[in-house]
Formats: sequence, structure tokens, C-alpha cells
Amino acid sequence: MFKYSFQWNQALKALPQMLDGALVTMQIALLSMAIGLVVAIILTLFRLSGSRLLRGFAVAWVEIARNTPALFQIYMAHFGLGSFGIHLSPFTSLLAGIAFNNAGYLAENFRGALKAIPDTQARAGRSLGMTSLQAFRLIVVPQMLRIAFLPITNQMVWAILMTSLGVTVGMNTDLAGVTQALNARTFRTFEFFALAAVIYYLIAKVVTLAARLIASRLFRY
Amino acid sequence: MRITTAAFGLMAAITMVSTAQADKLDDIVGSGTLRCAVVLDFPPMGSRDASNNPVGFDVDYCNDLAKALGVTAEIVETPFPERIPALMSGRVDVGVASTSDTLERARTVGMTIPYFAFEMAVTANEKTGIKSFEDMKGKVVGATAGTFEAIALEKQVKAWGGGEFRPYQTQADVFLALSQGQLDATVSTSTVAQANVKTGKFPGIAVVGKAPFDIDYVALFTNREEYGLINFLNLFINQQVRTGRYAELYEKWVGGDLPSLTVNGVYR
Repeated sequence: MFKYSFQWNQALKALPQMLDGALVTMQIALLSMAIGLVVAIILTLFRLSGSRLLRGFAVAWVEIARNTPALFQIYMAHFGLGSFGIHLSPFTSLLAGIAFNNAGYLAENFRGALKAIPDTQARAGRSLGMTSLQAFRLIVVPQMLRIAFLPITNQMVWAILMTSLGVTVGMNTDLAGVTQALNARTFRTFEFFALAAVIYYLIAKVVTLAARLIASRLFRY
Repeated sequence: MRITTAAFGLMAAITMVSTAQADKLDDIVGSGTLRCAVVLDFPPMGSRDASNNPVGFDVDYCNDLAKALGVTAEIVETPFPERIPALMSGRVDVGVASTSDTLERARTVGMTIPYFAFEMAVTANEKTGIKSFEDMKGKVVGATAGTFEAIALEKQVKAWGGGEFRPYQTQADVFLALSQGQLDATVSTSTVAQANVKTGKFPGIAVVGKAPFDIDYVALFTNREEYGLINFLNLFINQQVRTGRYAELYEKWVGGDLPSLTVNGVYR
């Protein structure tokens, strides 16, 4: 049934191009995680704040980010904003879409992590003379990041894989975009996509292994 | 007793040999169905009508082909990037999908003689003031990923240096981006450009001129080694032109001057 002869040398010739694409993929994933982490901490603070408006904003963000497909979020960042005259380049739309998604998921991770830290810890800090912000920054956040570390790694892997959705908004420099373009030109679909899958796998594997190394370094008791 | 055993053996051998020799053409005739990969996001070649039925030049062409084979046609909707996986995994028999017959692709799949020819046109957002192909230099331009014009345009943008090329996954996304002003201009087949401008779904865009790319000859395709089927397809395309059916379908879906499918001064 499957009549196809694999010509791996054709695909391997394009490997340098694909590796360049992989660099762009990593770049987007890392940037989106950095933005996502900062926004997620802000969202977590909003959730803890007394203001109903801020809490509502944070809840709405998390709800939309977690309950709609990432594809939709990226598409909206490009064509949705585009219909209001706000034009983001494919790179920026992809970055914005993934950062939005990351922030939503990470905020939820942080909320769970916060729940695992007893209130008495912050109160103990306060009784030592810290201000509430100091207690939050010096006592709660470090523990929160430690508990949330592995979920953050998960989200990082997820961010890498989500970058492949960039092709829907005209992205052609990341790994998926480069692969798609090579495929269109040569019709060697199976070789190029298999190679891309291997590269994605390796990147994700390296990230998880690195995270495990970092975790064993940082979280020694 | 011996003779019957021998006879059975012989019969079994013949059956096995004949199944081994059955090619794709036999399979299609035998199964009674011809499955065509058609792109339904590419009016007027392929799209869906108000009641969601596939219509277009390629759809009619597939139906004609099925009739010529004496089987029923099955239209399998296939986006541009999925034409080859669909063929290789055996989901479709033939691609009737406006596929440009480049040599690079012919290394992978088997192409017939051309069954249609496109000329390329520049469509621009009216606000950009682009009036010709050369005006596109340094601008943000785009086209449908995986098409002949996308490959040619990307090369041109690189040659110009400066400006940006963006491939979108569907023709509809290209015109949406163009209408929103995310793209300044696009190159597409003139038939597609006119059909999309005419729909009125994309305000603020206009066809401004021709693109000086080679004529884009498109072919039917199937597995490279299916000579029997490719042979049949070539004859079928020849007959479509000879019987005037090609002209009839062109008038129905596109209109205007009928593009010639031959190249002067060379055999095929």
C-alpha cells in the first residue's frame, strides 16, 4: 500500500537549514517563557489582591488561555488583531500567542504552588518584621518557584511544540516553517517531516534533561 | 488425481501472477471508484457551493476522468501541503489539484502532461499604491505556501533584497491578510485573483497587473511507477482538449482566452 522510496540524502542536504530553523524555534520558546513567567507572577498577584477588577482580569486571562486552543490564540493574535488595524509580524504574533498561553497555564501552576505553602510561613516572616511584600518576595516566591519548577519545565516543552503552529500565520523561519517550505518545493514529505520530528524530540529531551540537572543542583536540602 | 492437483496448482499460480501484475489502473477499475485529491480552497479550481458540495474546474475534471474510466468519482478534499501524504498513504488514486509540474517534484511523484495553465497576477492593497510587479520591491508580500507562485515570489524577494515574504497556509488567509493590510501585495494565479476580488469578501484590494513569472503549467499526478495509469491520464487530457471539453470547462469556470497547453519547439 505504501509506495514510497525514502531518499534520506535529499533531506540530510537540507539539515543545516532545518537546524537554523530549530534555533528560531528555541528563540521563540525561550522568549515566550520569559514573558509568560513574568506575566504569570503578575497575574498571581492580581488574583491575591483585594481589587475585584484585577482579580476578574486575572481569572478571565487564565480561563481564556487554558480553555481555548493555542492555534486559535495565535490566529487571533495575527488575524484577529489585524482586523482592528493592529499588524503584528508572524514572529510577534506567534510569540504573543504562545506567551499568552504560557502565562495562563503558569499562573494556574503558581496558584497551586501557593496553596501548598502554609499561610503561617508568610505570617512568621511578618512577625520577624518583614513587610508583606518582603515576606512574599523572600519567603513565598522562592518556595513557589521550587514547587512549580517541574510544571514550568513542562510548559517550556509545550511552548517549543506550540511554535510549530506558526505556519498558520505565515511564519517561515522556524523549524516547522522551514520544513513546510522544503516539503512544498520537493514533495519529499516523509523525509523532511520525520527529520523535523526527530529535531523537535531532541530539543524537548535536552530541555527536560537540563531542567532535571538544574533542579538537582538548586533544590538540594 | 495427480492431474487435478497439477491443474489446481497451475490455476493458483496463474491467479497469483495475475494479482501481482494488477496495477493501479486495474485497481481503480476493479474497485469501481476513482478517488481524486482536490484542493477545495482554491476557487475557481475547487471550492464548496452554498450547500457544501465540492464544485470547480478540478471537481468537474475528476468527474470526467471517472466517467472515462467507467467508475464513480470520489472527491477527497486535500489541502496543498497534504497532496503527497494523501497519495502515498493510499487515500487517493490521482491528484487533480492544480499541481505545478516542477522537475524537483517530478523526482518524487509521476506527473502527466499539463491539463491547465495559469498566468500569474499581482493583487495589491489599494492603500499601498502598488501599481505593478516592480512596485512590490521592498514591500511585505505573501502567497499560498507550497504553490508555484509562492516559490517564485520568495526567490524574487531574496533577489531584490529587502522586503519580506510570508507564506500563508490557505489562499483565503492570503487575501484576508492582504485586505487587512498585513500584506501589501500578493502574486497568485490570475483566475484565483479575479475570483477572490469578485466575491467582495476582501474589500480594498485590486488586481493591478501581471507577474513576469513563467506560465505555470499544472499536471495531474499519481505514483511515479504507475506508467499504465499515467499513460491513460495523458490520453485523457489529450481527449479533453480534442473533444472541446477543456474549452467548455474553461468557459464555465474561468472565461476569457483559453490558455494553450503546448510549448512551441519541443516534444513532450
